[in-house]
Amino acid sequence: MSRPLETLARDVTASIAFGAVAVSGSVPGPVLLAFPVALGLSLRGVRPLAGRRSASVVLLLAVAAALFGWATFGRLELIVAAVAFAVLVNCHRLVAEPSPQTTRQVLLTSLLVITGGAVLVGDVRFALFVFGFIVAASWTMARMVLDGPEGRREPGIDEAPARRQVAYGLGLTLALGVVLFVVFPRLSWNQAMARAPPGLGGVTGMSESVRLGGGGDIKTNPRVVFRVSLDPDPLTESLEAYWVGRHFTRFDGRQWSSTGTAQPPTRRVLMPFPRRRGARSVKQDIVLSSAYGSRTLVALDVPMHFLNGRSVGLGGAVPMNLSRVPDDQVLAMLEGNEIGYEAISVDEPSFDTSAPPASATELPALDPRVRALAVELKGPAKAPLDVATRFERELTRRYAYTLALPGEVDDPLVDFLFVRRAGHCEDFATALAVLLRIEGIPSRVTTGFLGGQRAGARYHVRAGDAHAWTEAYVDGAWRRFDATPEAGRSASPPAWLSAAIVAYETVEEWWRLRVLDYSVRDQFAFVRDVLRWPSGTDEAGEARGASLTPTGRGALVVSLATVALLALLFLPRRRGRGTHPASGLLDAIEATLRARGVDTGGKPLEEFSQSLTATNHPLGPALAHVTRRYLEARFGARPLGPREQRALLATLETPPGPSAG
Amino acid sequence: MLRAAVATLRRWMNPDRVLRVTPMGRVYLVLTLGVGVGALNTGNNLLYLVLAFLLSSIIVSGVLSERVVRDLTVRRLLPDGAFAHEPFPIRYELRRRRGHAFAVAVREASTLMNAGAFAAVVSAAGPTVVRATALAPRRGPWALAAVEVSTTFPFGIFEKKRTIALADTLLVYPRRGFACEVSTAGQRQVPGDASSGAARGGTADVADLRELVPGEDARRVHWRRSAALGKPVVVVREREERRQHVLRVDPTTPSEALDSACEAAAGQARRLLADGWSVGLEVGGARLRPGSGALHERRLLAALALAGYGDAG
Repeated sequence: MSRPLETLARDVTASIAFGAVAVSGSVPGPVLLAFPVALGLSLRGVRPLAGRRSASVVLLLAVAAALFGWATFGRLELIVAAVAFAVLVNCHRLVAEPSPQTTRQVLLTSLLVITGGAVLVGDVRFALFVFGFIVAASWTMARMVLDGPEGRREPGIDEAPARRQVAYGLGLTLALGVVLFVVFPRLSWNQAMARAPPGLGGVTGMSESVRLGGGGDIKTNPRVVFRVSLDPDPLTESLEAYWVGRHFTRFDGRQWSSTGTAQPPTRRVLMPFPRRRGARSVKQDIVLSSAYGSRTLVALDVPMHFLNGRSVGLGGAVPMNLSRVPDDQVLAMLEGNEIGYEAISVDEPSFDTSAPPASATELPALDPRVRALAVELKGPAKAPLDVATRFERELTRRYAYTLALPGEVDDPLVDFLFVRRAGHCEDFATALAVLLRIEGIPSRVTTGFLGGQRAGARYHVRAGDAHAWTEAYVDGAWRRFDATPEAGRSASPPAWLSAAIVAYETVEEWWRLRVLDYSVRDQFAFVRDVLRWPSGTDEAGEARGASLTPTGRGALVVSLATVALLALLFLPRRRGRGTHPASGLLDAIEATLRARGVDTGGKPLEEFSQSLTATNHPLGPALAHVTRRYLEARFGARPLGPREQRALLATLETPPGPSAG
Repeated sequence: MLRAAVATLRRWMNPDRVLRVTPMGRVYLVLTLGVGVGALNTGNNLLYLVLAFLLSSIIVSGVLSERVVRDLTVRRLLPDGAFAHEPFPIRYELRRRRGHAFAVAVREASTLMNAGAFAAVVSAAGPTVVRATALAPRRGPWALAAVEVSTTFPFGIFEKKRTIALADTLLVYPRRGFACEVSTAGQRQVPGDASSGAARGGTADVADLRELVPGEDARRVHWRRSAALGKPVVVVREREERRQHVLRVDPTTPSEALDSACEAAAGQARRLLADGWSVGLEVGGARLRPGSGALHERRLLAALALAGYGDAG
């Protein structure tokens, strides 16, 4: 292989490995910058470190000392420091003198980097990088091997067979790798891997607190965070429904936080609201996806009953307890790839009659302008419901919706109300709650979702539907008030984007379910499914034809494919590509001779025939004739038909007659 | 059928294969071990995934390299002669019955014959001839018992080696470039044992014919003229006979001294032959009659190469 091509293949391999850790966002900025610079220099053929071995080693040692010093003092995680150092070693090698030795070093260091990526990156993008790395590294190594010990490619070599062979090898490596991944015993029950956020960014915002001025890309994120089927089904395309997640009652002027403590886990949680006759309930079967990223359960407003919690993994669903945090939220007590549960809500705005806690009326130190604004917005309204409605309407009318965040300001509420006069849902909800408390009306901020798009028999709710609103305790019940302007209440992505997101999520769900969360329990389930003998009845006890389980069918297909691939590689082919038709005759001649107890000793046929003739072996004359005919067919232009082939072989099989002499 | 199956099974159970880890493979194995420990310790499934692919690469290396070495036949093509301490070529003809083999290295199993050849591709379509350069440290008949066929294909982390029995003998002539001065006595026709040129006849144009006298060498008889004349006649040539010189080597000399003696004799023989002498050789009881020409020189070298090895002469 010519050196530039080898160098290019090496650089591609190193780039893929670097990409695997770069997407994690954990690698320090200088390292992220160093690699593209080194790669650019390498691609341009600039080797500043060529011939400067001692100086460059000293430089690397200094970098290593700095990185691990940071790690020691807690400024950097140790694994990040190790990965960063491996990337820097690769940078060093990229700009050193190219040689087979350097290429091997780059490949091995890249392997270290990709291993670091396994720790730092958790989403499906890592699969793409691993696949790319295997292909690129295998290809580079195979080409180096074909160059031989001298590192020089012989001219005029037909590379096509080698390419095919390496492609076979790659296919086998990937197939076998998958099999090994499935069957390799999971001896550790730890799950030390940091559960990285899903590949498309932030999730629901179901955090422990609502901090004004913070936040991120929640509103623009179209990922599906939960799927729900409703009973009764409203049969609408767009479900403009409020999904309640958490209530926040304590506000310190900047941040909303929780007050309650979790109650003991139970199989079902019933909200302590008195039931009313005639109230219409809606049953929901909800599955929170891995993108949801929280254990807080959501349900349609007003949630009344949570039950049948389950953590869903590859091995099936595991029943799960739930826990209620009074005045706050309902929690799932297990983590899992997906969390499923049922909820029953009451479609009646004033159903929650629970008494407000003391914190629902507490106010932090407020700017006097806020109190003045409360008086101004209240106008002539006297009754609490009227006051709340008027505050809601005026905030909606006077203030604009924006996703632009103010950054760190001294008083986010004042900044929203009097400086920017624009904000997002949390700003509106906070302002309304504070204004209500100024007027002595208990209030709380509720976070959850607003929306739902129909997808088949279910509704999908996306991260972009995350929302915050206000609830006021008016006339003995909590009522919902949403001051956020309509335009900012929920975000619906374009249809094409939705489709793309759904496709991505399908792949990522599969990745999380089958790879990230694969466990010893799944292995048992796999073995059980593979070994389960086809039965004649189904689960309902009805007779059916004997058939394998899907897992068994999959295992069978993979096994057959592997056997077929190996057979393709090893079993003799009569007329394979690159094999002369007469080669079959050679095999047959040797087999016949072996059957007669004559061993060729690995000698070429022509030489062996001459030796038999020289020693007056009885088979000598017959073999000489057969050999001549074979050579004519093999190297001459006299083809050999099957009938003649059989006749020739028969002369070797027939015992020689008595010698005339 | 059963016998063939048993033979195949035996071959599989006891293959003449050696697996060696390359320097790159050693680092690869250490990394694999590290990833394995990390996976077991942390339970990180992505580490298990990397580990699975690392292990599968090892298995696939074994499978594909086996495919390379299992269906190869080798034929050794030795040079006519080789001199000790001088590189000489050995050619290997590699054949495959089907498919292709890649990155095939061929090397003599004898450690002293440090020959190594490499073929990037060996195809069933025809033999591939590769050339290795070997070096023999001393003269003598070198028994070549086997060749090692190896490959690091496909990933270069392991070298799979197969030893193929291939018996042959290479005769290594004494080292060149070591020649003592021939004694002046020899130039007066008696260096060592010089015999009468008249007893042998010359090599120039025919001057006359005369009758064979009793005791004369019958090989000088001109048979056609003798038949015509009805009596044996011998040829008389114009020029005087070529000077003759018989070199002597004592095969009982200790090993290293014998090598030196052979090297000296070979150098002298080469020099004398170049000067137009007929050179003979006596090694122990064996004698090579004086002669000249390239073929005779080879005979002398071969005799010197074998001196002390039992079957010299």
